[in-house]
Amino acid sequence: MALKDIKPTRSELINIKKKIKLSQNGYKILKMKRDGLILEFFKVLGQAKDSRGALLVKYARAQEMMAIANTVEGSIKVKAAALSVQEKPDITLRNKNVMGVVVPKIDSNKVRKGIADRGYGILGTSPVMDEVATSFEELVEAIIESAEIETTMKRLLNEIEGTKRRVNALEFKVIPELSEARDFIKMRLDEMEREELFRLKRIKARNES
Amino acid sequence: MEIAVIGNSEFILGFRLAGINRIYAADTLEKLVMHITHVLEDPEVGILVLSSHDMARVPQRLQITLEESVQPTVIALGEEEGGISMRERIKRSVGVDLWK
Repeated sequence: MALKDIKPTRSELINIKKKIKLSQNGYKILKMKRDGLILEFFKVLGQAKDSRGALLVKYARAQEMMAIANTVEGSIKVKAAALSVQEKPDITLRNKNVMGVVVPKIDSNKVRKGIADRGYGILGTSPVMDEVATSFEELVEAIIESAEIETTMKRLLNEIEGTKRRVNALEFKVIPELSEARDFIKMRLDEMEREELFRLKRIKARNES
Repeated sequence: MEIAVIGNSEFILGFRLAGINRIYAADTLEKLVMHITHVLEDPEVGILVLSSHDMARVPQRLQITLEESVQPTVIALGEEEGGISMRERIKRSVGVDLWK
């Protein structure tokens, strides 16, 4: 709002004062929200670092085991074994609200299976196949853990960024501009009052002489 | 709820071995986008697994949708490719490089 657009009236002054109060309240609340979000973020940060590292290690191992299985058993046998696995991992996804940010909460079961539950014949396959299946089951476990933590992190970071922008806009743009407008109106009103007083005095002086 | 995996046939095979039924082979970009859009609309899918390479290939708009999606939660496997890394994101949001 440029100063030239402001009407120096009392009602405008009252309006601007109200706006300043509102902005200051909003600023305080948003600042608290930002700090709260950062605290929440710190809680997840440690877990995220560990889980991402573990996920990458498990992914690399699973890929390596798959390559070994393809070499030892042949890709058709691996495919046949894969297609015979019946029991699927079950997950439950719920939404959790962290200071207005919706984050997922995932619970899982039946990810790890015993050799007998996998569905492919034990006699027809070599232990390499079991190793591959185990490594992929471990990978899926890591994925489930990571998915929750990483999505929470990403969403918290987005929200922190947005809140930070709003806090900064209020602190460095909205509130200073409004204060400037308030001071300008005050100055103009005082000036007008002084002019009025001076005029009255002159009229009085003229009448007396 | 279930886990869905989308990627090339090599990528998805191992997950089938871990018992995941919803595996979608996508060797071309069109198929990839089609399967992703299909899975995003499926209420039965809780987690969507992609490779980082595929994640970097999809159009920007879809990438943003995937990153912001809570149900299903999307996770990219492998080293981060393209886009902004987690480290960069933290630096931008918090102002300090905490990913050490």
